Amino acid sequence: MATEATTDDHPRVTASRPRRSGKWRVTSGLLATPLVWLILFFVVPVVLVGLYSVGALTLLRNDVFLSMEKWRFFFTSDTYVSLFWKSVRMSLGVSITSVLLAYPIAYLLALIAGRRKYTLLLVIIVPFLTSYLLRVLAWRVILGEQGVVNSFLETVGLVDQPVEWLFYSQFAIYAVLAYVWVPFVALPIFVSLESLDEHLLEASSDLGASRLYTFRTVTLPLSIPGVVAGFIFVFIPTIGEYITPQLVGGPGGFMFGSAIQSQFTMGLNWQFGSAMAMFLIFAVAVLLAIFGRFLNVRSVAE
Amino acid sequence: MNVAVSSAGRRWLWLTFWVLVLFLYAPLVILLVFSFNDRELVSFPWEGFTTRWYQTFLRNSEILESLQISVVVAAITAVLTTVLAIPASIALVRRQFLAKGLVSGVMLAPLVIPLVALGTALLILFNTIGIPFSPLTIAIGHIVIALPFAILTLVPRLERIPAALEEASRDLGAGWYTTFRQITFPLMLPAIFSAFLLSFVISFDEVVIASFVSGDQVTFPVYLYSQLRLPRQLPQVIAVAVVILFISAVVVIASEVLRRVTDRNLEADTAVHDQEEVSVA
Repeated sequence: MATEATTDDHPRVTASRPRRSGKWRVTSGLLATPLVWLILFFVVPVVLVGLYSVGALTLLRNDVFLSMEKWRFFFTSDTYVSLFWKSVRMSLGVSITSVLLAYPIAYLLALIAGRRKYTLLLVIIVPFLTSYLLRVLAWRVILGEQGVVNSFLETVGLVDQPVEWLFYSQFAIYAVLAYVWVPFVALPIFVSLESLDEHLLEASSDLGASRLYTFRTVTLPLSIPGVVAGFIFVFIPTIGEYITPQLVGGPGGFMFGSAIQSQFTMGLNWQFGSAMAMFLIFAVAVLLAIFGRFLNVRSVAE
Repeated sequence: MNVAVSSAGRRWLWLTFWVLVLFLYAPLVILLVFSFNDRELVSFPWEGFTTRWYQTFLRNSEILESLQISVVVAAITAVLTTVLAIPASIALVRRQFLAKGLVSGVMLAPLVIPLVALGTALLILFNTIGIPFSPLTIAIGHIVIALPFAILTLVPRLERIPAALEEASRDLGAGWYTTFRQITFPLMLPAIFSAFLLSFVISFDEVVIASFVSGDQVTFPVYLYSQLRLPRQLPQVIAVAVVILFISAVVVIASEVLRRVTDRNLEADTAVHDQEEVSVA
């Protein structure tokens, strides 16, 4: 194997020199269209939002020109900053709940379920790949004031009035978002547990460690990359989430994302909405800079 | 003795698993059951079996139009995303180039941008350059968010195809296009199919970007979202939901089964290929 590699490598290096410019053309040809697309419709728009939020360009009649006014307003207003922290708290709660629910499932499938594991994994994943909005709708139908649970309880006479904490509550938001994300979180944890060498567990046991000790000192630390990946991939999209909270959270479901969205639908203060959107992007960028090294994006894909 | 779990622990884990499966599927089953309840409200008591909500939505032109627009947007998204993702994934797997980390970072970045921020950004972009909102502007945004998912579907497959097959084709005198058409493309095909379906599903379900950049013609998720405040429409909306959930579940399962079968075939083929290589050496 080793000799094959050296004999193989050597001629390739010398042969590639005359063709280098041709190879470069092929590579740039392959990359050109997808990169141009993402630069035009992803990078440029994000830059534009930043420029627009400080008035480097104006679109509406009441837009201010070249001013930090919207940013200053955002940072000095208690309402919007506390909405941001409310969204962060929701994200944290939802990602922790999802990880706690998903971990035992991933553990079972990766280390115990044996040959059936891929089929059972598919059973968990299928709901995630069907419509997100329709699954949230299902919960709205179930938990609502006149929903399935409350109407059932009233019909059989267990309660006289609808149970209020079921609908339009923080409980409803957490339950539904955890429901939405659990399958997605289970994936990276499953991948990290599955790639774990089972001989390590046997060695630990042979050396006299109890199962719990083995789990704490071997299995859990080795699955941390999967846990962090799952956590981040829930945490980040959930900070901007406003659809589910609005549908099942009632008045308490007004989130940072809702504040951004309402600047474009009702408030028509686009510049302020852009400043908040830009702040959200910065916040995500900071998170990624901190946790990015734990992320192996591929673990989610497979 | 099983090192991973005790027998009691095993029972607990299986119980947790089946409770979670129940938690995942019960809402969908409830939706299905209540779509046949003969009642204006989606709730108990059970008033009898009816298919009238299905008949109502089939006559509701607003629903049908929004579904049609969703299909068009999702089809445009799926085709263009796949066309962009194929060269991107080939470059990422087969090529060495400057700033590869940066390039793959840009390509995967849409995975982590909050959709409400991307929706805002696209709204500002289209207003700045003066493009009116239409199904096309929705598709443009959907391609951005579907692209990383499509690339991540193609890359693992491409990594399993031995580069030696392409090199052999080039050595035998085939140009890069012939090599792609005859060797790489057919071997990638199952993953290309998955990437296509995934992009379609992502677009068909997407509501945030669609609500930021849609004009008069709205997609089904945007329509659905606007209707959820009107309980009167709910029973027929739920009938549509049941149909869509059923179709997407069938498609997802079929594509997953297909992917596994072809992956196994590829592994068997390349295993034979490796053995031959060894015996020749």
